[in-house]
Amino acid sequence: MTLRNPIVFIGSIAVVFAILFLWWLASVTGTVSRAFVPNPFDAWAALVRGFSRGDLLPQTIGTVGRMLQGWLLASLIGVVLGAAIGLSRTARDYLQPTLEFLRPLPASAIIPVAIALMGLSPGMALTVVAFGSLWPTLLGTIHGFAAVEPRLKEVARCLQMSGPAFAWKIGLPNAMPDILAGMRLSMTVALILAIICEMLASQAGLGTAILLAARAFQSSELFAGIALLGAIGLVSNLALRAVEIRALAWQNSH
Amino acid sequence: MLARPPEPAIAFDAIRVDLGGKTILTDITLDVKPGEFICVMGPSGCGKTTLLRVVAGLVQASAGKLSLFGKPVQGPSRKVSVVFQDYGRALLPWRDAAGNVALALEAAGMPRAEQRPLIETLLAKVGLKDHAHKFPGQLSGGMQQRLQIARCLAQDPEILLMDEPFGALDAMTRQQLQDEVLALAAERNTTVFFVTHDLEEALYLGDRVVALLPNPGRLARIVDVPLARPRNQLATREHPDFLAMRRDLFDMMHETH
Amino acid sequence: MRLAKAAALPLLLIVGAELWFRGPGAGSESLAAPSAAFAAIVEALGDGTLVTATRQTLTAALGGLAIGASAGLVLGFLIGLSKTAIALSTPSVELFRPIPSVALIPLAMLVFGFGYGFEMSIVAFATFWPCLILAQAAASQIEPRLMEVSRVIGLSSTQRLFKIVLPAAMPRIFVALRLAAGFALVVAVTVEIAANPQGLGYMLMIAQQSLRPELMLGSLIWIGLIGWGVNAGLNALQGRLFRHQQVAGGKP
Repeated sequence: MTLRNPIVFIGSIAVVFAILFLWWLASVTGTVSRAFVPNPFDAWAALVRGFSRGDLLPQTIGTVGRMLQGWLLASLIGVVLGAAIGLSRTARDYLQPTLEFLRPLPASAIIPVAIALMGLSPGMALTVVAFGSLWPTLLGTIHGFAAVEPRLKEVARCLQMSGPAFAWKIGLPNAMPDILAGMRLSMTVALILAIICEMLASQAGLGTAILLAARAFQSSELFAGIALLGAIGLVSNLALRAVEIRALAWQNSH
Repeated sequence: MLARPPEPAIAFDAIRVDLGGKTILTDITLDVKPGEFICVMGPSGCGKTTLLRVVAGLVQASAGKLSLFGKPVQGPSRKVSVVFQDYGRALLPWRDAAGNVALALEAAGMPRAEQRPLIETLLAKVGLKDHAHKFPGQLSGGMQQRLQIARCLAQDPEILLMDEPFGALDAMTRQQLQDEVLALAAERNTTVFFVTHDLEEALYLGDRVVALLPNPGRLARIVDVPLARPRNQLATREHPDFLAMRRDLFDMMHETH
Repeated sequence: MRLAKAAALPLLLIVGAELWFRGPGAGSESLAAPSAAFAAIVEALGDGTLVTATRQTLTAALGGLAIGASAGLVLGFLIGLSKTAIALSTPSVELFRPIPSVALIPLAMLVFGFGYGFEMSIVAFATFWPCLILAQAAASQIEPRLMEVSRVIGLSSTQRLFKIVLPAAMPRIFVALRLAAGFALVVAVTVEIAANPQGLGYMLMIAQQSLRPELMLGSLIWIGLIGWGVNAGLNALQGRLFRHQQVAGGKP
């Protein structure tokens, strides 16, 4: 009864098309206003038109670039800082309660502070994306490094391994599942914050594009942009999941 | 010049260990000769594992002196290797069998090119030649413990510490591994300090058996085991001397309890 | 001792910031001293603006959560009862789930205009997916032995649903709800910051734009406290309700 079964597989694809068909039906029968929800074919045409006219590609690159830059920065800082905190009992005692307190804070709430400090600049957007998407990776890394099996710490002592060797050969691989899971969550946060920052700071990107499309009542262009943002989310998630499967092959070997 | 007797491999001199305000071990004095196979046994709570951890340098004695080949112990050393009972936790789950053995060689700073043939030899020695690229999660319990032994041998230790290494294995595998460890120790002339709660295992393996009693852990008796080597799972265990020593130690443990 | 260590860093930061903004940093238009932020919060509490904004944000978050979570939980639970249904729905779920909730802000604004409908619809969308996925997992991972027991003692399928399936899935469903509640608050504030002129997020934005950094920082801390409070409250509730059942962490 899984997707390996060809009938179930075809059926599951049919469900996707059924949903698209319902969307089409709703738009052509006028169940929902055309002003809000376009015919799916019109949305597709808007997508093709956007790329062939050359507007959508730079906007997509803008959003993806903003997301990736912030995410990479966050991942780098998160892993290095997380490793340092995770490896030190003292650092954890002093820092972890504060970090746990900050965890439920909406990442977007720092946007006004960033605007106050940096204005509506590209640097502000990068800072917000990086700062907001830092937390999942940072907290995951801390947990991963702190949760090393005590027995392995003894093995490392018996082998007289140096601190850096322990961090590299035992701490890091042990933290890898948590780091990668954190980075995947960080990517989702990074995309959301990139969109919000574009909307607020009117920087070239899909976030601005869909906002302008909505203001101009161009529902086809609006839906094309939403679909494109969904595709960015989908592709980045799939890519990171592929990395996880490769890097964590040992976990599934039992 | 006068021929001096060789330094003992392990020399305990009035060792006492307090942990958390409680005396775990007291007044342990014992010399282990180089190349000797010594078994430490006793009921749970007698401090036998703590004694092993003192030799490993993982626990510091609160009083007394401990020397290995005449040098006082300052902490863990690569010349001393430890086979832990919980092999599942003592192996790196993300490295395959070869990688786990390599860990010990890397710690010793051996160049990568020299590692490979040595890893092959060590894995072959413990019967894991065909499993070099399997992860610990893919190996049975007995194979995982073999792998841990291979990693310990990779340290080329002068002293091998074994903490109830076969306690979690089934009877058949346990007997196989007992014989393999005896053969490896004889071949390398390694000093083995073997902790077990199983009286028969201690007698079967050891040149001497050290019996501990609990509360606080202390020496009860040291028994010489003059049974012929190589030992045999059937002949040795049925030997009248073996049976007599077993009865003797059994009674001693139960009387004083 | 633990508490002292935990409080050391926040106290150091607060004292450091206080000293800085009274000395060299005084007159800053972008940031303010902690004491000023505290005073601003007390003032906003007194004149009712903070209470109104908090009520608006919580109403929108709760309303959106009610819609998104109930739809997600019911649908996810029904799908989770059948392996075929899980397989049939997986590609659709995987295809539509990655759409970032905030990408729907312009659409929802177009459909509903500013106000609760706008904000709740985004919150509902954002909370729908985690609830769907987790409820599906809860329904599909019920201990098979329990199902065998129910068959052996001859329960009808309705009895099985109410006596076995639902109680067994309840702890995981609550975990889904707890996570979704956290999301709901985050998304509500985000929508307010991005577009919707009401609630705490908007208060934060207006404080920044009207160059009142002390009110901005005060509201930021207030939002943090509310988020922390909701989180801690739900954690405690989970501990009370499901004392006897083990729930594996946050995510199954």
